[in-house]
Amino acid sequence: MIWEVFRQEESGEYHTHCGNVHAPDREMAKQFAAIQHGRRKPTNSLWVVPKAEVGEIDADDVAFGGTTDKSYRWATTYRTTGEDAREVVESEDEQATAEQQRGDA
Amino acid sequence: MDLDTVKERAGPREFSPADDLPEEYREAATRMIEFHANSEIMGAYLERPFIRHAPSIDRKLAFSAKVQDEIGHGQLLYRAAESLGIKTREEMLDDLANGDGKFLNCFHYPMDSWVETPMIAFFVDGAAMRRQATLRRTSWEPYAHAMDKVCFEEGFHVKHGEDILRTLMTGSRKEQKLTQAAFETWWPRIIQFFGPTDDQSTHHDFAAAVGLKQKSNDELRNAFLDQYIPKARKYGLEIPDEPRIRERDDGTYEVVEDDLDWDEFFAIAKNEYEPGVGQIEGRRAAQEAVEWVRETIDDDATTADGHAPQAAD
Ligand SMILES: [Fe+2]
Ligand SMILES: [Fe+2]
Repeated sequence: MIWEVFRQEESGEYHTHCGNVHAPDREMAKQFAAIQHGRRKPTNSLWVVPKAEVGEIDADDVAFGGTTDKSYRWATTYRTTGEDAREVVESEDEQATAEQQRGDA
Repeated sequence: MDLDTVKERAGPREFSPADDLPEEYREAATRMIEFHANSEIMGAYLERPFIRHAPSIDRKLAFSAKVQDEIGHGQLLYRAAESLGIKTREEMLDDLANGDGKFLNCFHYPMDSWVETPMIAFFVDGAAMRRQATLRRTSWEPYAHAMDKVCFEEGFHVKHGEDILRTLMTGSRKEQKLTQAAFETWWPRIIQFFGPTDDQSTHHDFAAAVGLKQKSNDELRNAFLDQYIPKARKYGLEIPDEPRIRERDDGTYEVVEDDLDWDEFFAIAKNEYEPGVGQIEGRRAAQEAVEWVRETIDDDATTADGHAPQAAD
């Protein structure tokens, strides 16, 4: 049985996918994950999930974000004056990065 | 874990569903996140009619995207609240429908005219964002993670709201006058968004001690006024004479509390303010009207893979 492994580096961070292990049951999967994925990289916690339980939808199935121009959904579209609140600037920067990454893909 | 340990360990994103947390913590966190989730939903319902009333196709598209985002924020937050094990998502949604669920004061007021939209989309979203940015460091990890995504999206809401304000305030004389009038109506409510001053706030001490709340009402109100008074002025809005706001020597603000209507505020807090009751009813009616859609989806999901989907997913 294949188990997908998600590692969290520090408490409070996100668990992100880092690979998978072959194991007969959940207990063994946890042990193998700890050995294979938790030994060298900083690890606070690991999740193991049976591969069969993972549903997937990919770019062949669906056009993520749609196919029409949705620039009205981005903060970067709106020209406003004066200094923006710190968190608004932060959000706009995150959006600009995401927009750029989508363009690169 | 006992309460003393919680207070000792309380830090940003410190506690997750893997921790065994005392009832007091889980109840306080549930109350706070449920309130937040309800507010997202009720705000979305308040703004929804303006998808239809938007003056241009661009505004219509942006408004529908924003309303969709807000409903999504509600969904994320009910998940974060549910993970505390005190209330199920169904119970929270039922309470919102039957009038027991509490939500933000600003969303109890009716909104009738387009000139009012920036009062919510710029000022209330701006105020909410001030607060939400600090909650990325709340101690309940699922709440902090929800805030990451919410803050990512909110920048669009605030800037879009600001753009509407800019358009109105550079429009005809009549538009400018109506916008100023709407601002005068909404301004005291927006200041009350942050609740009463710290010494009168009932839940603050505990929520702060266990790291759920990162900033006090006063600190947030200050940060808001500091940022948004100059913005309002920049677009030609005049700050109303009341409530009186005094700038202290250290640059912070003091709002004269007696100039605000606290009877109304506390009636709202108990869901006893007439227009707000109408809005709760309106949402419940809309929920019931589309019950058949949820039922159809549930039935379909059950026949498709043989077991009922979990309520929360
Ligand atoms: Fe929101
Ligand atoms: Fe928003």
